[in-house]
Amino acid sequence: MKELVSILDGNTFLVSDRRGDVEPSLDFPTGLFSFDTRFLSTWLLLIDGERLHALSIDDSESHKTRYFLVPGEPTHFLDAKVSVIRSRAISGDLSEELTVLNHSGQEMSFTVRMEMAADFADIFEIKDTKRKKGHNTAAPGEDSLRLTYRRDAFHRETTIHSTAAAQVDRRGMTFPIRIGPHGEWTTRLTVNTVIYGARGQDVRSLLPFAGSRTTAAIEAEHAEFIARAPKLGCDCEPLAGAYRRSLNDLAALRYESIALGVRLMAAGLPWFMTLFGRDSIFTSLQVLPFMPELIPPTLTMLAGLQGHRVDDFRDEEPGKILHELRYGETAGFEEQPHTPYYGAADSTALFVILLDEYERWTGDGALVKRLEASARAALTWIDTYGDLLGTGYVWYQTRSPQVGLENQCWKDSWDAICYSDGRLPSFPRATCELQGYAYDAKLRGARMARLHWNDPIYADRLEREAAELKERFNRDFWLPDKEYYALALDSDGSPVDALTSNIGHLLWSGIVDESRARRVAEHLVGPRLFSGWGVRTLADDQGRYNPIGYHVGTVWPFDNSIIAWGLWKYGLREEAGKICESMLAASRYFAGRLPEAFAGYERDLTDYPVEYPTACSPQAWSAGTPLLLLRVMLGLEPQGEHLIIDPYVPPGMGRVELLDIPGRWGRVDALGRSRDEGPSRPD
Amino acid sequence: MTEATQQFFATLPARAPEVLRGPAMGTLRIDLTEGHRTEHWLVRMRPGVAEVGQGAEPGDATWYCSVDLFDRLATGRAQAIATTFRNESTFRGDVVLFLAFRRFFPSAPGTRDPREVAREHARWTR
Repeated sequence: MKELVSILDGNTFLVSDRRGDVEPSLDFPTGLFSFDTRFLSTWLLLIDGERLHALSIDDSESHKTRYFLVPGEPTHFLDAKVSVIRSRAISGDLSEELTVLNHSGQEMSFTVRMEMAADFADIFEIKDTKRKKGHNTAAPGEDSLRLTYRRDAFHRETTIHSTAAAQVDRRGMTFPIRIGPHGEWTTRLTVNTVIYGARGQDVRSLLPFAGSRTTAAIEAEHAEFIARAPKLGCDCEPLAGAYRRSLNDLAALRYESIALGVRLMAAGLPWFMTLFGRDSIFTSLQVLPFMPELIPPTLTMLAGLQGHRVDDFRDEEPGKILHELRYGETAGFEEQPHTPYYGAADSTALFVILLDEYERWTGDGALVKRLEASARAALTWIDTYGDLLGTGYVWYQTRSPQVGLENQCWKDSWDAICYSDGRLPSFPRATCELQGYAYDAKLRGARMARLHWNDPIYADRLEREAAELKERFNRDFWLPDKEYYALALDSDGSPVDALTSNIGHLLWSGIVDESRARRVAEHLVGPRLFSGWGVRTLADDQGRYNPIGYHVGTVWPFDNSIIAWGLWKYGLREEAGKICESMLAASRYFAGRLPEAFAGYERDLTDYPVEYPTACSPQAWSAGTPLLLLRVMLGLEPQGEHLIIDPYVPPGMGRVELLDIPGRWGRVDALGRSRDEGPSRPD
Repeated sequence: MTEATQQFFATLPARAPEVLRGPAMGTLRIDLTEGHRTEHWLVRMRPGVAEVGQGAEPGDATWYCSVDLFDRLATGRAQAIATTFRNESTFRGDVVLFLAFRRFFPSAPGTRDPREVAREHARWTR
C-alpha cells in the first residue's frame, strides 16, 4: 500500500494514489471519508484527456500534501512544457488548489478536466459490496456540483465548488484554459461534506469545535498539543524520531465525536477511524504519562455509552464497555451492530484499570468519584455477565452470529485462538489475558473504593476475589510440562495450549506467580516467540504459525509495549530493554511510524521488518508504543504524590532525558543512561 | 401517544434510582410527533431522580421522535442510538442527557439471559 498517500484530520481522511487521484476501488478505502462514509469515490485529473505522472510529493504533514505532476505516462521521455501542482489540505472539508504552469515561451491552450463522483459507500461496504439501498443524485450548478445520497431520512451530501469558471456536468468539471508564456492558471476546489441531522442542519455544525477548521487553526492546535508534551533529549536517533512522529500522529488522530462533542482518539487509518473501547484504552494507558488531558474525555465517553440492557445483536449486557462505535449507514440501519457494538470481553476490565491508572498519575479524584457508578457496574459485569459459565473466569461467545466477532479479545481474527496443533477450540472461550485484566481491575477497583468511594468493605471483597482468582488461574491455566500459561480454556475447561504473546499481558496484570515470571520471560524473549524485531503473536513452531498471519505470527508494536511494561513490573529489566531496543530499531524502517503490525520473519532473514500487507498506519496504539517504551526504560511509576524514576536504558542507547513529565507532582524531569558505556554511541 | 409510552413515562420516577446512577443532570424535552400533532414531554434528570411533566418549554436538550418510533423504543423493539444515526429520530443539545435517558429503554421482548443460554450448551460449569 506504499503507493497510496493519506491525509487526515480527526476521522476525516483522504486516501489517493501518488498522482493525487482517486479511482473507484472495491478493495481498499480510497477516497474522501468522514464519519465512516465515503464522500468522494472519484477525483481524477486529466490534462487534454491524459492522466498525469508524479514527479514528487511533499507529504511531510499529516493534514496536507502537495503533488508535483506532469502529463503523460511514466514511460515517456520527459520534456514537459507544462506541469501541475495539486496542493491539498483537510480541515474538516477538503480543499485543493490546482495550478497549471506553462513553461514554454508561447501561449498554450489546455483542457483541464476533473472527474468527480461520490458513491457514499459505508466503510463496511468497501470490502463487501452490496447494492446501495438509497438514491444518488448529481446536480450541476454554477461552478459547483452537488452530489447527494438519500435513504429514508438518512441524507449525506458532497458539494464541490470551483473558484475558476467551470463547465459543470454530472460527472465533473471541465476548464478550457489559455495560459500565457511562462504563465500559470489556478483554481481552488473546495469539497464540503454534510451529514444532515435535526431540522436539516449539518450535525457537525452543532459541535463545539465545529466541523470545519482552517489549516492554520489545525497547525496551531497541533503545535500546542506537541508543545504541552514532555521534551525528549536523547542520543538515540530512532528513539527521537519515533517520539516526534508519534506525537504528530496522535495529534492528527484525535477527532470530535458527533455524539459527545469531545475529542477522542481514532484507532487507525483507514479501517478504524472511529472509537474502539480496547484501542482507546490501551492508547490512553500508553500516552498517560505524556498527555493526561486525553484521558477524561475517553473515559467519560466510554462510561456514557456503557451497556445497559441485554441486546443479542450488539452483544450488549449491563455494565459492559463498548467495543466499536460507527456512525455510517450500515450502523444506522442496523445491518451492522456498531451503535455501539459490545463484542469485547476485555474492554470492561480495561476501563477500570485506566480510570485507576489515570488517578494515580494525575490525582484527579473528582473523575473517579464522577465515574463511580460506571466503574462499579464494570466490576459487577466481570463477575456476572462476563462469567458466562459461572466458573470464576471471564468468557466470551457472540450472540450475533451473522455480524458479531467470534473472538472478543484483542486477537479478534477468526483463527487467532488455537491449540498448539492448530485446532480451534469450542465456544465459549476464556483467554488468559482476560483473567489477568479482571485480576488487575479488582485490585485497582479496591484501591479506588478505599480511597475515593469510602467503601472499605467493597475494597476488602474485591481484594479477596482477586487473590482467589490468582490462585485459581495459576492452577487452571499453567501448563506444567510446557512451563507457560495456556492461551485459553475451551468450553470443557481444558487448556488451549498454544504458545503466544498473551502471556506477556499476564505479567502486566500481575496475575503471574512470582516463581513463574522468569520462565514466562524466557519464553517471551526466546527464539520461538522473539523474532529479533519483537515478540510474535504466536510462536513459530505452532500449528497455525504464519509470519504474515494477522494474529498468528506477526509482531504487533502495541502488544510488545504492554509486554515490556509487564517484564518491567516483575523487575525483568534486561528482557524489557531487549524489547524496547528491537521495537525502536524496527521503527527506523518506517520513518519513525510503527505500523499496526509487521511480519514475524526472523531478523537475520530479512534484515528489515516486513510490513504487514494491509496494516493500518498511522495507528493510535502503535503511535503510543514509543511513549510507553520510554516510560519502561526510564522506570516511571507514580507513588503517592511522587514520581519514582528508576531508569534502565538498554545497552547502546546512551542518554535518554525526558523533561517536564506532567502529573500530581507538577512537572518533573527524568534522566537515564546505558550502563555499559564510556562515550555514548549515536546510532 | 400509545399506551406503552404512557406507561413508560409513568414508571420513570420509580426506576430512576436504579437507572440514573451517572452524573447526568438537566432537562430533556421529548417531542413526539404524529401527523401534524406534537406532544411535548419534559424529563428532569439528576442522579437517582427523574421527574416527568408535559409542556413546551425548552430543555437542555431536545429529542424529536415519532409516536410510533417511541412506542417501539419503550417496548425494546428499537435501539435509540441507531435511530439517530439513520436520522429517524433527531437530537440537539446536551447529548449526555440523551445517553442517560436511553438507559430507561428495556431489552427486546423475549431476550434471554446470555448466561442461561451459554450454560445450556457448555459442558463445563461449576
